[in-house]
Amino acid sequence: MTPLEILELIGIGVSAGFLAGLLGVGGGILMVPAMVLLMNFGQHVAQGTSLLVIIPAALTGSITHYRNGRLLLRDAVFLALGGAIGAVFGSVFALSVEDAVLRRLFAGLLLVSGLRIVLARGLNQRRRETVGAQDA
Amino acid sequence: MAHLLSQTQRSALVLAVIGAVAGVLSGMFGVGGGILMVPALVLLVGFGQHRAHATSLAAIAPIAAVGALVFGRANSVNVAAAVLLAAASLLGVQAGAKMMNRLSDDRLAIVFGGFLIVLAVVLLVL
Repeated sequence: MTPLEILELIGIGVSAGFLAGLLGVGGGILMVPAMVLLMNFGQHVAQGTSLLVIIPAALTGSITHYRNGRLLLRDAVFLALGGAIGAVFGSVFALSVEDAVLRRLFAGLLLVSGLRIVLARGLNQRRRETVGAQDA
Repeated sequence: MAHLLSQTQRSALVLAVIGAVAGVLSGMFGVGGGILMVPALVLLVGFGQHRAHATSLAAIAPIAAVGALVFGRANSVNVAAAVLLAAASLLGVQAGAKMMNRLSDDRLAIVFGGFLIVLAVVLLVL
C-alpha cells in the first residue's frame, strides 16, 4: 500500500464512520463506492471489505447509544437473528453475480437510498421550519 | 426522553422479519442495512427516529459479521484496507454518535442523500 492509499483509506474511514454514528447507518453505503471509485477496488472486494469494517464501527456506535439510553438490547437481538439468516442469502447471491453487474445493482441501491433520504428528510425539515417560524 | 424509553407493543417476529430483509440487503451490497431497518422500525414498529437508529446500528454488527465471513471465504475481503478503514471510522463514529445528541440532522441528511444520488450516477456511467 502506498502512503497515498493509506491516507485515502483513513479519509474514507473517518467520513464514513462519522456519518454512521450521526445517521445510524453502517457507513458502508459511502465506503463501497469510495473504494471502487478512489481505490480501484473491484465491487466484490469493496463490498466484502466494507462488511468487515462495519463491525467495529457499529459496535462502538452502539455502545455510545446504549450508554445514552437509546437502545434496548432485546430489540437488537431479534433484528440480528433475522438479519444473520438474511445475510447468508444476500452474500451468497452477491458472490454469484459478475462484478460489473453487481456494481450496477449497487448503483441502483444508492439511487433509491439517496432519493428516499432527500424526500423523507426534506419533508421533515420543511415541517420543522414551519413550526420554527410559528414559534418565533 | 420519556418517549425513547417507553415500552411500545411490538412483536419479536416483526423485528426478525425486518432483520431478515435487511440481512439480504446487507450481504448483497456490503452495507449494514440500516437504510432499510431505520425506516422499517419507525413505520412498522413505531420507534422514534433516534431509537430506530440506535437499535439498527446494534443489529448491524452481527449481520455484517455473517456477510464478512461469507465474503472472506470467497477471498473477497481486503483485510489490510479493512483494518485501516475500521481504525479511522472508529474516530468518526464516536464523534458522530455524540453529535446525534444535540444536532438536528435533517439538513445534513439531505446533503448526504443528494451526494448518494450523484455517486449512483457516477457508478452507472463508469
